Amino acid sequence: MRRVLLLMVAALIAAGSPIWAKGSTEAAKPAQKVELKAIWWGSQARHEGTIKTIELYQQKNPNVTMVYEFANWNDYWTKVTTMAAGGQLPDVMQQDYAYVAEWNKRNLLHGLDEYVQSKVLDFSNVSDSLISSGRIDNKLYAVNLGSNSQTMMLDKDAFEKAGVALPKSDWSWEDFEKIALELHEKLGIYGHGSGLDNNQLWKNVYISLGQGAYAADGKSTGYTDDKPFADFLTMVQRLIKAGAVPTKQESIATWGDGDNPEQWPIIQKKAAMQSMWSNQAFAVDKASGAGRHFVLMSIPRTKKGAASPNYIKASQFFSVSNQSKVPQEAAKFINYITNDVDANKILLAERGVPISSAIREALAPLVPPITQEVFNYVGWVAKEASPCPPPDPVKHNEIVNNIYKPQVVEQVFFGKITPEEGAKLLRTKANELLATIK
Amino acid sequence: MHHAVSPRKRTEAIQGYLFISPWLFGFFALTLIPTLVSLYLSFTDYDLLSAPVWTGLDNFKKMFTDDPRYWKSVWATFYYAVAAVPLRLFMALLVALALNTKRHGMAFYRALTYAPSIIGDSVAVAVMWRQLFGGDGLINGLLALVGLPSKTAWLGDPRFAIWTLILLAAWQFGSSMLIFLAGLKQIPEELYESASIDGASGPRRFFSITLPMLTPVILFNLVMQTINGLIVFTPALIITSGKPLDTTNFYALYLYRRAFESFQMGYGSGMAWVLLAAASALTLVIFKTSSRWVFYASDRGGEG
Repeated sequence: MRRVLLLMVAALIAAGSPIWAKGSTEAAKPAQKVELKAIWWGSQARHEGTIKTIELYQQKNPNVTMVYEFANWNDYWTKVTTMAAGGQLPDVMQQDYAYVAEWNKRNLLHGLDEYVQSKVLDFSNVSDSLISSGRIDNKLYAVNLGSNSQTMMLDKDAFEKAGVALPKSDWSWEDFEKIALELHEKLGIYGHGSGLDNNQLWKNVYISLGQGAYAADGKSTGYTDDKPFADFLTMVQRLIKAGAVPTKQESIATWGDGDNPEQWPIIQKKAAMQSMWSNQAFAVDKASGAGRHFVLMSIPRTKKGAASPNYIKASQFFSVSNQSKVPQEAAKFINYITNDVDANKILLAERGVPISSAIREALAPLVPPITQEVFNYVGWVAKEASPCPPPDPVKHNEIVNNIYKPQVVEQVFFGKITPEEGAKLLRTKANELLATIK
Repeated sequence: MHHAVSPRKRTEAIQGYLFISPWLFGFFALTLIPTLVSLYLSFTDYDLLSAPVWTGLDNFKKMFTDDPRYWKSVWATFYYAVAAVPLRLFMALLVALALNTKRHGMAFYRALTYAPSIIGDSVAVAVMWRQLFGGDGLINGLLALVGLPSKTAWLGDPRFAIWTLILLAAWQFGSSMLIFLAGLKQIPEELYESASIDGASGPRRFFSITLPMLTPVILFNLVMQTINGLIVFTPALIITSGKPLDTTNFYALYLYRRAFESFQMGYGSGMAWVLLAAASALTLVIFKTSSRWVFYASDRGGEG
């Protein structure tokens, strides 16, 4: 009943929005008291760090009072979407590559170019390639908070113990399979933990072939051949059968189905490899305790000699809401997060590799070894990475939550359908949904 | 007979409305208006960010004919309710009978057995349940201790996952138990006394006095728990998140996911109204059949 109620409340907020959106229109005058609202998603470590930087910002700018909220990824989007419907969006909101185009289309984001011109947002230490992903139709709407790429984390100690050589950056899924099996046979642990059915790897499989999960216009899938993804699923099935990867049952019962980094088996030395986003390495290292040695490696290529499946992406952005009454103050805060050394000494690149070269240099001697490894990794993988695909189409969420997970990978790994049937179902159903986008 | 309302009466009326105005506000703002809005939304395509677009019966058409996960969620909810509701009522009645004695410290035991229901719907219990039935949880640990197979993935196995949730429901019998207990206390002592004099045995007294006298309470509990069973949400979200293979993707959970994770508020609203209709229909059926099995002490039935 509570949920039904929640639904009704949301409906109410939506219904009431024309009245509520009017609100006060008085503009904030400079040096006057300013109230700035911010919201973000993330882990506990991020909440603590961000709150500390906000406190520091208030010290440095005594006229600013900040009000903030945070949530985990799923609740975050429920929260901000409801806020947007009610005309109650915070001034500064964390934004994701998958959502930024959609939010801009709904006219919810404030353009930032005027603040770049007036130097409120200072990008003099930032290379343009690192902010371009926040542009839509050549207009800046979101500022990258850190660069990121997919990675295969390797437990170096486990590799040494098993006498298995570390892979090279151009390794393929075929190499991966051999290595995972060998690690499993020699050590009796999983070669790779749960999460090999993550939709990110589906994207990587096709990017490595010079295609993409989605077409450039987002109105269809970016590929027509199901075989590469079916082959990938078949490989995972073989690894599961050999015991080198957890079964779906174990994965759900014991490892949180791979959804939560803090539950990944590599932390308990029960797996030797784990695919993830490079900025998640920090959380895994922290949860693993002292004395562990992790190496970050590129994602295996779909086949030998194929292009890199990796791409460099903004791990997240800050954007300014169009409902903000103090957009310039919001831009000022984003500039502080981008360029302030003290703030970044608190944040320690937890959101990804900082975009300002000055900040990277200032942090290098301060960060823990794992963050140094992330800096190095993102640095070298950027050189061979494929171009970043366009933002996910509007229906991406529905495709992942309603098709990819429940109707494809779960069905395949519970043996209800074959990998070929799964790959075909995914493409057909995804295209049906994508075709409905206006 | 009808005169103009006297000023005093009017003042009284205004005062009365003022006193209940918080409730009135709550009812209109938080219940009635949202309910009507959700009825409207159920005929639209609404993603929260842009204005709702009228689509007529499309949502319902899709629900009934073109959404395999919808029917799975209906089946899962039905399965859960049919198993969990009788189990919970049975547990509740059993414990209520055990607690319906006048021994020392009975108040303490009553509080103790009611505790799971107070905390039962909370996230904390769901997390604890997850720990109990997890792959290397307490249940498997105990099984290993007595040498039984201990590798079962209770939460990951399509055969067992829903039963861990049914078990949790059975354990949360407290509120029904309290109502049963109150019902038991109202059965006149004389009935038992005269039955004893007639030489009726314990089971005989139970089936001929306790159970018939309790039927109104059973009806109430059955209706309440059936509705509760149909809208089960928290345990499925926290313990199994609808997995595996959608066997625990209960109706309310699926509704929530459609509305708030895929932002299909129109579809979600439609699902909510179908649920309301189904729950009402089911309640009506239970009430209609009740005349055949519910015994009210006040009415003198044919057998008198």
